[in-house]
Amino acid sequence: MSTRTLLIGMDGATFTILDEFTRSAEGEAPVMPYLAKMLANGVKSKLLSTPNPLTPPAWVSLMTGRSPGHHGVYDFIRAEERGDDVFFTLYDARDCRTETIWSIASRQDRRIAALNFPFTAPPAKDIDGVMVPGFIPWRHLRRNTRPKGFYDRLKALPGFEAKELAWDFDQEKQALDELSDGDREAWVSYHLPREMQWFRIAEFVLREDAPDLLAVMFDGVDKIQHQAWQFIDPSLEPAEPSEYFVRMRKLCLEYFRQLDGFIEQLVEAAPEDVQVFLASDHGFTATTEVMRINTFLESKGYLSWKEMPDTEAARRREDSMFANLDWADTSAYCRTPSSNGITIRVRGDDGSGGIDPADYEAFRAKLVADLEDWTDPETGERYISEIHRREDVFPGSAMNDAPDLLLVLRDHGFVSIKNKQPAVEPREDAAGTHHPDGVLIGWGKGIRQGVELGRRRIEDVAAILLHSLGLSVPEDFEGRVPEEMFDLAYLEAHPIVEGPATRKVGDDTAGAAMGEDEKDKLMAQLQMLGYME
Amino acid sequence: MSGAESVGERVVREIVEDLIQDWGLDLEEPIGRETLLVADLDFASVDVIQLCVAVEEHYERKMGFQDLLMHDGSYVEDLALGEMIEFISKKLEDGSV
Repeated sequence: MSTRTLLIGMDGATFTILDEFTRSAEGEAPVMPYLAKMLANGVKSKLLSTPNPLTPPAWVSLMTGRSPGHHGVYDFIRAEERGDDVFFTLYDARDCRTETIWSIASRQDRRIAALNFPFTAPPAKDIDGVMVPGFIPWRHLRRNTRPKGFYDRLKALPGFEAKELAWDFDQEKQALDELSDGDREAWVSYHLPREMQWFRIAEFVLREDAPDLLAVMFDGVDKIQHQAWQFIDPSLEPAEPSEYFVRMRKLCLEYFRQLDGFIEQLVEAAPEDVQVFLASDHGFTATTEVMRINTFLESKGYLSWKEMPDTEAARRREDSMFANLDWADTSAYCRTPSSNGITIRVRGDDGSGGIDPADYEAFRAKLVADLEDWTDPETGERYISEIHRREDVFPGSAMNDAPDLLLVLRDHGFVSIKNKQPAVEPREDAAGTHHPDGVLIGWGKGIRQGVELGRRRIEDVAAILLHSLGLSVPEDFEGRVPEEMFDLAYLEAHPIVEGPATRKVGDDTAGAAMGEDEKDKLMAQLQMLGYME
Repeated sequence: MSGAESVGERVVREIVEDLIQDWGLDLEEPIGRETLLVADLDFASVDVIQLCVAVEEHYERKMGFQDLLMHDGSYVEDLALGEMIEFISKKLEDGSV
């Protein structure tokens, strides 16, 4: 067996940065010389992310070829309304309602390896190959790693350190806030050895197991860009950089230089006829203001804040990542900063909470009008540049789990849900935020050279990978294989074939078939994690 | 631990031992019914849930662990393994889930 397809995921990678880092400036070598070579000898295109360009829906779309309205994963945190209470829980792999490429390939005799991809835990039972999930605390890596016994092989690797490799909740939570200069520097430094751990595993799997599809994701790109965008984006470089700026930029460049080395070593270790695809779940840009959406909604009478005692526990709850409201007096609200959405509370059968269902359309129209009227007093520009109804951006069987409105802020930022004034405030320094345009790069056998394609959509990556594995593209995929990515001779020998639809996700998943007890368990998980009071 | 170990006890003990094998714990007593998840095994809330998932995976059925973990609207601060074993046994016996 030999590896025929290599997917290198780079969470949040954007051509805004990659173009800069692959360019030779004034005789100097580029920061990412190997990637520069791949771009010159391969195909590139912008890759349109999901309507909310966010890690959970976007990576799941990349892994399933389906949009969020079908796969049903919208955010890190999922909420469930019960009367006048709202419970919050975490999404996981069981919430994905559509089949993944890992399963599709496995059941057609292709061995796969998926390393550090989010929402791959708990792992599906039908995987043929290796799965080491991302976004999992180190204590639970062993149990969520497949096949059984593979974790022991990892532990035998020189330098393997589970704590360094895995998701660290404390570190991640800390990095959600604005960091001090020292903490920001430590945050960037933290990702260098962490990514090295994932590279070593990928290199090991490639060498020892040679799966048909090796997929590895490096998420440090996103993490670093969030906190250090101002040191990376060339347009934000000050005329007279401080000593700290110079040090931070050097550190960031070191990260990207290391990443380039990983790409080179993985590609060079793969067979000569390998096809390599690099993709990101979304792009990046700068956000310059804080938009406190629930503060605005409160001012319009749509919600009421929950009265909290002056205790440490109450302060922790106030600082948590989901809304803390007086639910009985709330008709529309934003659940989480990452959702960039507004949920309308509609009265249930038990008569509790929210608006009368008959009033929904009129209520939503007024809400949209209020949001449209929210403008910058100095320029008259709308703070929210796009307001989407969920049926327009999340059509599908899972639409009802989506927020009623999806917002795109004028600077592409994520909203704040904190109970603070004012509702809009400029940031002290520009910060990194997600942009809809991610990256797609193809290189290798049969792939055209030096070509830039029109923008593709993220669901296409799943179709491209299956085609690269010699498999048909399921007829219910929304993603398509771009013919123009390949040369004619290759396409003649490897035609793009549409095949049978994906299989229904099994009963062991938590998607549409999730039982009450399972919902309760997941809610318990959140409460015990300290996310709920 | 006193008396012969039941099948249910053995299953849960083995799952716990599997779960914590890399944690570097210095256990003073062998794992048994009296073992406290938080006080003795350094469980955090997410670890308790992972244990519940592991048990459910073993029995290939949902157990409704919220009934065990919640008392009067609040979550228990610690849990003895024996309590969990009894809970599981009852669920398996009466098929209530």
